[in-house]
Amino acid sequence: MKALAFLVAFGAAIAFTATANSYYVYIMATLALTAIAGVGLNVLLGLTGQVSFGHVGFYALGAYTVAVLTVSAKWSFWAALPVAALIAGAVGALLALPAMRVRGPYLAMVTIAFGFVVENLAVEWRSVTGGQNGIMGVPQPALLGLPFGERGVAIAAIVLAAAATYGFHLLSRSRWGAAMRAVKDSEVAAESIGLDPLRIKTAAFAISAVCAGVAGALFAPLSGFVTPSSFTFSQSLLFVLVVIIGGAGSLAGPLVGAAIVVLLPEALAALAEYRLLFFGALLLAVLWLAPDGVTGLVTRLTARRREPRIVAAGEVQLAPARRATLEVEHLGIAFGGVRAASDVSLRAEAGKVTSLIGPNGAGKTTVLNMLSGFYRPDAGSIRVGDRELQGSAAWRIARAGVARTYQTTQLFGSMTVGENLAIAGGGPEFLSFVHYTGDIDARAADLPHVDKRLVEIARALATRPAVLLLDEPAAGLSREDKERLARLLRRIADSGVAVVLVEHDMGVVMGISDTVVVLDAGVIIAAGAPADVQRDPAVRKAYLGEQTARAIAPRAAAEPGAPYLQVGRLAAGYGAEPVLKGVELQVRERELVAVLGANGAGKSTLMRAIAGLLRPVQGGIGFDGVDITRLPAHKVVALGLVLVPEGRQVFPELSVLHNLELGAFARKDVIARDIETMLERFPRLRERLHQRAGLLSGGEQQMLAIARGLMGRPKMLLLDEPSLGLAPAVINDLFAALDRLRAESATILLVDQMAGLALALADRAYVIEGGRIVASGAAREIAADGSLEKAYLAVN
Amino acid sequence: MIGSALVSGLGLGSMYGLLALGFYVTYAVSRTVNFAQGSSMMLGAVFAYTFAVRLGWPFALAAAMSLLLCALYGLVVELLAVRPFASRGSNAWLMATVALGIIADNSVLFTFGKEPRGLALPSASASLEIAGLHVSMLQLAIPAVGIALAGALHVFSRKVRLGKAMLAVVQNADAARLMGINVPLAITAAYALSTLFAGAAGIMIAPLFNVHSDMGTLFGLKAFAVAILGGITSAWGVMLAGLLFGVVESLITALLGSAYTQILTFTLVIVALALMPNGLFGRAELKKV
Repeated sequence: MKALAFLVAFGAAIAFTATANSYYVYIMATLALTAIAGVGLNVLLGLTGQVSFGHVGFYALGAYTVAVLTVSAKWSFWAALPVAALIAGAVGALLALPAMRVRGPYLAMVTIAFGFVVENLAVEWRSVTGGQNGIMGVPQPALLGLPFGERGVAIAAIVLAAAATYGFHLLSRSRWGAAMRAVKDSEVAAESIGLDPLRIKTAAFAISAVCAGVAGALFAPLSGFVTPSSFTFSQSLLFVLVVIIGGAGSLAGPLVGAAIVVLLPEALAALAEYRLLFFGALLLAVLWLAPDGVTGLVTRLTARRREPRIVAAGEVQLAPARRATLEVEHLGIAFGGVRAASDVSLRAEAGKVTSLIGPNGAGKTTVLNMLSGFYRPDAGSIRVGDRELQGSAAWRIARAGVARTYQTTQLFGSMTVGENLAIAGGGPEFLSFVHYTGDIDARAADLPHVDKRLVEIARALATRPAVLLLDEPAAGLSREDKERLARLLRRIADSGVAVVLVEHDMGVVMGISDTVVVLDAGVIIAAGAPADVQRDPAVRKAYLGEQTARAIAPRAAAEPGAPYLQVGRLAAGYGAEPVLKGVELQVRERELVAVLGANGAGKSTLMRAIAGLLRPVQGGIGFDGVDITRLPAHKVVALGLVLVPEGRQVFPELSVLHNLELGAFARKDVIARDIETMLERFPRLRERLHQRAGLLSGGEQQMLAIARGLMGRPKMLLLDEPSLGLAPAVINDLFAALDRLRAESATILLVDQMAGLALALADRAYVIEGGRIVASGAAREIAADGSLEKAYLAVN
Repeated sequence: MIGSALVSGLGLGSMYGLLALGFYVTYAVSRTVNFAQGSSMMLGAVFAYTFAVRLGWPFALAAAMSLLLCALYGLVVELLAVRPFASRGSNAWLMATVALGIIADNSVLFTFGKEPRGLALPSASASLEIAGLHVSMLQLAIPAVGIALAGALHVFSRKVRLGKAMLAVVQNADAARLMGINVPLAITAAYALSTLFAGAAGIMIAPLFNVHSDMGTLFGLKAFAVAILGGITSAWGVMLAGLLFGVVESLITALLGSAYTQILTFTLVIVALALMPNGLFGRAELKKV
């Protein structure tokens, strides 16, 4: 149906050109060659998502090649044309070497520079190009001895445009086209299924260069002369315009875009001078209102309801994987002087589930990133079977049989579920295996959260890996879905894959793992069978911090005041599935309230929502009588509610003093005395007053963050994981500081992994699990209750 | 010859640096830039010409008014071409700012006319003898003003409240919000500042290059190269890169003739980016998955 429409359109164009007068012939020719350049750029911009503002360079190369060959060397046009295409393509591949290694504005700069170099070479290389005067008298091509004329060139251009469009159609449906779209959607995910983004981007760049070169080659005999003034920067912009206005990535897009760009100025002949102005406005309008261009608009308006194709349910057996053991030895990496992982060794055997657990900031994702090739370790080795993989590029590691899923699912959003699978080399049987029972033609970006996870796992399995790395796959899932996921992971292991799982949900981990490895502050502190690890005192200390809790004196009861902070039915979170599902809590004046729970339960999301960094989707937050539910962060601060955020978040390039001063940004009064108070409270900061905050140790930065928060003289303080990543001795000092604060009757809401410590400080506590409050009461009661241990370590 | 090339190179270079500072300010605060910075520069010159020559205002007043209008233009750019896309996480601001630049250039073309106009500064023709070279007051003033503005930006970001706030946003936008800093306002202010700088550059360079609607394009693109090469992470780095670029360009022109200036400078840009994809002074941002 669509093919017929295109055939008719091109046929009509040829018929029209064969009979129209020379003015229209020229228009049709220009339209056709603009379309050819557009098709090429569509491959680069539309399919692969790379920008170029310098394609006039290839256009010029094509034009000058033909001009020089036909005028000076007296070649036939038909021989010169492929040479022009070849030269443009070769230069394109060469330019791709630097160009495709950079992105965004940097890529734009490289392509712009290229365009200017070509334009200026055309002016300066007078011996070849004729300088400013250019080359005159480019002959019209002849075919079989008969003069072809302008009409002939126009018809040839239309035929070539049809060929280019057909070529685009074939490419778009081929594996290469799918690979290009994959690179556009997510280079990371593309690498993880074994695609080399550099090679793909280079191919796209070369193809677009060839098309622009062919367009230029046709331009030369059409216009009869070739001068540098035809090859300015604005011509590159026009090519980009053609693609965007027509509709990036669509088949008809360049044709529609070329028609608009070429015909509109002619149609509005009186206003032809204003065409650039008009195009600028049109581009802006398209970007605002119809980012998919004209064809995108038409598609949206004429979209018919598609019948969903549901994946057949049923038990599917996975063919046995290529079995291999993952051996990791003494792996280590440092970032900016901080050792994120050190001497990490582990062994994941085929057919077994090996879990990697540890507190937040322990380095689990860092280890996974090294295993999958995302980071290059600076020490140690990674072996799968007998192949050494450390330091290899991610796509090579993927091809060696290591597949991976990500904390935030990296699906190819613009492609369907089926296409996501197909490009990884698999079909619907993998979807059946993971029990995805949805529509195979659904757009991946539109899927609900749990389905995205399943499809990502299915796609990873489709690459027939020996090792499957999973990064917190259970995050954000309901209890029921987590249990199904756990069973799925066990089935995957049973088929022979070595499963490596990073996960916080202890129920999932302890239920299916053969080996559990515990990471803390970048080092392994325990490894073995689940039952042994659960009983290990070092592990309990790392998670619950009970040893140091005895240092805190029991609290002398101070009368709590009126409710300061009220949170009701709060639902908030990122993406489709809210992490918080309905939270109720209250903090009264002079109280210290703790919120505890496993990672991923929603503690930080809760703090960010209260502080105004995250807008809740439901429910309400009230502070000191004011409804702050929809208030942005900087206004919440002004009301006296200050968050000391997770991870310290100091301003690394500013001095300690400047950080403190910024803490008082919202205040209008004099702050010198308060700074003095802070320095007395945290004496180590005085020693470092003029040092850059980024150079301070973790503990010092945490003190600074708290001091900075206090500078605002808040009515209430929110503390998000202050002990994160701190050594146990430093944690002692930290909680001593917090102890002093509560003695001064500060009002505090505290979230921390060190449950034992937090409970020793707090008056009351809430326990969050799965986005809801599952327990609340006096701190002593919660401490005595077994529900905490259950939430954290899944001990029964 | 080398001497005068150095002098004019410093002048040109500080203009590139000034434009590049505009790129730095917005990129640092919002990870976006006004890709058509050259148009802002052109507007500065055109406004100054309109007020000083067409309307006969005293030059200081004309310059001040022109700078005000340039700052307003920055607000327009942020509101129309950046905010609608950056807030959605889309990269379309790159082309939207280009589109706005095309509109600005062509609007000026049709109101101002195609003929380049001269903007004569009263003191521009006076000259000094320095180390045996004839240096015009303007050629002295340009780098002086450029470096002074860079210095002022430096002081502003360290001593003035709004400046410190903007610097904080650079380093940690979320933490800045938690200090009570209005980040969207900071971004808008950054854009106004960047077009202000560009306008200032345009006003100063107008007497040397004549005023016409196209004057900014090449300048702006070279300034973008400067910003990128300077790593877009530090004000002084960018200014230094600008001065270097200007001097290298002038030297190439003096030694090899102007024919090869554009070719060599742009080729050097490509080579530099090939070797250092994060710019000369930049650091690779840590990838997070």
